[in-house]
Amino acid sequence: MFLRRFGITGTIFALFFIAQEAIINQITFPAGGFSIFLILTLLWAALSTPVVAAAVGFGAGILLDLSPSTSGPLGHWTLILVLMCYAIAFFSYGDENMRGNPLSLILMVTLAQVIVLVSYLVTGFLLGITATSLSQTLTTIIGNAIWTLVVTPIMLPAVAWLHDLAFDSRMRI
Amino acid sequence: MRNGGENRGRLLLVILIVSSLFLITLDLRGVNVIDGLRSGTHTALSPFQRGGNVLLTPVKNFVNDITHLGRTRNQIEDLRKQNQKLREQLILRKNQDGEIEQLKSILDLAGTARFRIVSAKVIAQGSSLAFTRTITIDAGSGNGIKKNMTVIAGNGLVGVVKEVFANSALVMLATDPAFKVGVRIAGSQQIGILSGLGSSTANLQLLDNQTTIKVGDILLARGSINSQPFVPGVPVGRVTSVSNAAGAVTQSATVRYFANFGALGVVSVVVKAPKADPRDALAPVKPVPTPIPTVTVFVTPTPTPSASSN
Repeated sequence: MFLRRFGITGTIFALFFIAQEAIINQITFPAGGFSIFLILTLLWAALSTPVVAAAVGFGAGILLDLSPSTSGPLGHWTLILVLMCYAIAFFSYGDENMRGNPLSLILMVTLAQVIVLVSYLVTGFLLGITATSLSQTLTTIIGNAIWTLVVTPIMLPAVAWLHDLAFDSRMRI
Repeated sequence: MRNGGENRGRLLLVILIVSSLFLITLDLRGVNVIDGLRSGTHTALSPFQRGGNVLLTPVKNFVNDITHLGRTRNQIEDLRKQNQKLREQLILRKNQDGEIEQLKSILDLAGTARFRIVSAKVIAQGSSLAFTRTITIDAGSGNGIKKNMTVIAGNGLVGVVKEVFANSALVMLATDPAFKVGVRIAGSQQIGILSGLGSSTANLQLLDNQTTIKVGDILLARGSINSQPFVPGVPVGRVTSVSNAAGAVTQSATVRYFANFGALGVVSVVVKAPKADPRDALAPVKPVPTPIPTVTVFVTPTPTPSASSN
């Protein structure tokens, strides 16, 4: 059972990671664009238990850290995503009002995305990563949030279906 | 039981956080394994990225065009304006080049004849409704121009100053039907009167019935008393046809003016002529045809072996 879940989840994340790197990252979207991989990770965490969410955050973080487009040290994304995925799952787990309502999920994922980006910037600053200008940073964060608001509703049914497939949870959103 | 699950969860969280911090520490310390992992991921992703790039190039271009639609329009508009400006500059430049060319030929002519001239731009053509052929130039009494002074262009006679104002002058063109000038044929020195016909040609009436003219003869202004209205020696035109009417007392001919009245940009007013008559010195030199070299081939027959044996 564990191997099946791990295999399906790993395959899904790997495919989304490749799609992000090979397709999404190559398109120049206005205001910075979005990350379907990050949205998948946060949605997956919101639909999972805190333990699973933390493990998923760890795996997704490792993949993001290994991405050629990442400038931070290995473990940077991992640390942030472990904490954020655990936090999302912790707040939403057991609260059917939160999980059963797509609007709540979308808003939570968008808010989480903003927190993740801000955390990445702050920790990056502490780790000595050179940041861009404030206006550019704000544009990227706000742009990402808007794009996430647009893209998450499109991805949500597919991610929920894949999550059901992996965990056989029969959850309906 | 529930507490045990929560504890395990927290333990896992702590382990994951510690692992993350461990990875960060390793990377910041520059461990080679981490760099190897990154380069391995990059190598594995490269084919997907290349494939994605090939597939997405048309889409990227489309999205890029939409994103920069306003900017592209502005750029096109700017380039259009710039193009228009450059075209205007080019036209102005061509016009100036033409004027410079005309001025240069006038100076050549005036220099050869030792005329003192005042150059002026043609600022207006006379109205065709006035039934006269005139031009207005941007030089007047303030520039030393007086009535009845000769006006020349690079090729020859243009006309005579008819009216003078402070900053401009009205010039009667040689094409005006009322225009008459005394001329002589370069070389033979036969004299006649040339009358304008309202076009680029004029009518020549010779004064002596013993003389003859032929097509191609060059006419020069004969000159007036005190060089007004006409200075002597100015080229006027070339005979294009000769009329030998049976009952005519003297010969007449049709003459084409040297000056191009359709493209007058800059003209010069002769304000002082030299005392000595330049005679035929200003007559344009007839173009000498360039001889075409004849190629002659000499062929020496080679004796055939059979002929030599006989």
